[in-house]
Amino acid sequence: MKYTAITATCIATLAMASAAYARDFTIAAWGGNYQDAQRAAYFTDFAASKGLKLVETTYLGGLAELKTMSDTGDVIWDLIMMGGSDAQLACDEGLLEEINWDTLPHADELIPAARKDCSVGSVIIGNGMGYNTEAFPEPPNSWADFFDLEKFPGKRGIRNAPAMNLERALIADGVPLDKVYEVLSTPEGVDRAFAKLDTIKSEMQFWDAGSQPVEWLLAGNVALSTGYNGRFISAKKDGKPLEYVWNEHIYNIDVWAVPKDSPFKAEAMEFFAIANDAAAQAKFSALMPYGPTNSKAPDLIAPEAAANLPAGANNANALSFSDEFWIENNDALTERWANWVIQ
Amino acid sequence: MSNAQSQPHGSRFAAFMLLLIPTAIFLLVFVAPIGSMISLSLENTALGTRFVGFNATDPDDPDARAAAILADLGVLDQKQLGEVSRMLNQEKSGFRSLILNTGKKADTIEPTMAGLAAFDARWGEPEYWDIISKNAGAITWRHYQKASGLKYDAEGNLRIAEGDDIYMRVMGRTLMITLQVTLITLLVGYPLAFAVANGTRRTASIVLNIVMISFWTSVLVRTTAWVVLLQTHGLINNSLIWLGVLSEPIQLIFNRFGALVAMTHVLLPFAILPMINVMRTIPKSQSDASRSLGAGPIETFLRVYFPQSLRGVAVGGGTVFILSLGFYITPALTGGPNDQMLAFFIADFVNRTLNWGMAAALSVLLLATVVVLMCLGKLMQRLTAKRERTL
Repeated sequence: MKYTAITATCIATLAMASAAYARDFTIAAWGGNYQDAQRAAYFTDFAASKGLKLVETTYLGGLAELKTMSDTGDVIWDLIMMGGSDAQLACDEGLLEEINWDTLPHADELIPAARKDCSVGSVIIGNGMGYNTEAFPEPPNSWADFFDLEKFPGKRGIRNAPAMNLERALIADGVPLDKVYEVLSTPEGVDRAFAKLDTIKSEMQFWDAGSQPVEWLLAGNVALSTGYNGRFISAKKDGKPLEYVWNEHIYNIDVWAVPKDSPFKAEAMEFFAIANDAAAQAKFSALMPYGPTNSKAPDLIAPEAAANLPAGANNANALSFSDEFWIENNDALTERWANWVIQ
Repeated sequence: MSNAQSQPHGSRFAAFMLLLIPTAIFLLVFVAPIGSMISLSLENTALGTRFVGFNATDPDDPDARAAAILADLGVLDQKQLGEVSRMLNQEKSGFRSLILNTGKKADTIEPTMAGLAAFDARWGEPEYWDIISKNAGAITWRHYQKASGLKYDAEGNLRIAEGDDIYMRVMGRTLMITLQVTLITLLVGYPLAFAVANGTRRTASIVLNIVMISFWTSVLVRTTAWVVLLQTHGLINNSLIWLGVLSEPIQLIFNRFGALVAMTHVLLPFAILPMINVMRTIPKSQSDASRSLGAGPIETFLRVYFPQSLRGVAVGGGTVFILSLGFYITPALTGGPNDQMLAFFIADFVNRTLNWGMAAALSVLLLATVVVLMCLGKLMQRLTAKRERTL
């Protein structure tokens, strides 16, 4: 009797394990409000139209998961939202499915920067400075202000990575926006950026998750912080005393990609019928203040929502992030950055 | 039961098997990962097996080398090409695009040195060729070279280049923080353990419960609690300002102080519990005897009680030391940029830069440090034991 029970349990466990193996369509994205907005704008409609059951999980950047999936042959994600340069690196290593742009829905409506070999650009993100409106009588408005410890004393929240921070240092040091990558491509330019960063090194505090700058500014742990426009503006909409500086901010593109050998590859490609749709992207941008990549979407966004997006007038004096520069130089500059941080 | 009694050999065999199985499992889950970690830190299949033709050619014949490298790159698929270009780019910026472009167009390039240099001027620079030939072996020491900061200079001698020994300095910092945490934990933990072992039932149970509750709480929860307590407008700063001790908040977090406080709290139970165990075995009658023979309370403690409790201090301190060496999340959340320990960089190599060889090399460095320190500890123990015997 007892053995029967044990055997039954074993069989049941095995059955559940194999049931889990025939898994559901899995989406990995950045979590938080960002993913909530994507669910409302894309995921729910997609699941309903295809009769799929969706599983969502969180991805925090890097290629570690994709590489593990490729090495073990156990592909557990079917759709992933990642940074443009990570997607290009993953593409070069054959970790992503190639996109067939001839058959992709709404392909011709997307801006050119969204169309890559293995990824479909979806979201334009502003990477700028946030501050607490109660902290300073005269608000900061440039990277020169960010590096000015006398005018704006206190800790500076920045991400522990050279990308974007070297650009900001050069802008603060007086390099015009259209010359930033030209200067940064020379050894002297890199030295110049690190020399400028030296001036705020004593006050640096590294954030890791996108929610930290908002928490730290509200708690007064840092005086100024870099961060994503969506995080600051969402907090502002919730009544928090935060503001985002559009002037000289850096915008980049987050992309959708399909991990190589996903069993749901066909379904994943059909996802773009919704994700690339102008109306769906406009709905997303109304929920989460990041910009659309469909060139027809801005017309569908209400002016008051558009005022919060990294698009149009807000990008009038902004820097377009260079994935190409960082793909080539990230290893060497990250090593130098780590070295600089420790010294 | 009766069977075992009638067949003593059978029971011995059963006991042997009972020990053998857990030992095998232990070896599998403990030794196997360490072995794979060490092999990962030396392994070079991604580069070592992809330049077979190149390795076989005469280094003094540039055209043969050019033809060989084109043939080697030409047979790689995209995934292999991506891997080769990522690994070489870790050695020098620019290798990524150089290898990817050359590999994709390999069959269209004229297989001579001039042809390669015409395709991309970088092939004309000897530095790129040197890096390939240095890193195309079956195993590689480059991760250990980077971890130790050792580099070959122009004359081919190994030396530590100025400013390149970052991981050695991080290791030094890791040891420093670990020592600080161990000392503070012991200083705070000893009186608490003493109270549990020698106090009244009531005191003992209160202190022990507080220690155990914190022991059973998740590390992440306790660390986050310290962030809330210590932050600029947190409970501690606000209370001190309200009491008039401070006029404006002081920086208690994102520096060494915050990291030490949180790490000490997280590790305290690991020091207290072994100390309680040892202290409870010290017979109370010995202290009584010492007092009745005329020693004061301080002398009794120092000469009778304290030396016997040292075993517990050693076990507790050792546990805290070993555990805190590998700490990652607590200093990451409560420390500043200069309080990050080696584990932080290991995680970074695994997750962000995908340089698993480097992560493995740093892990081996951490493991080797633990082994060396444990050997030193054993040696010290033996020396003191010998001295005690001769006294």
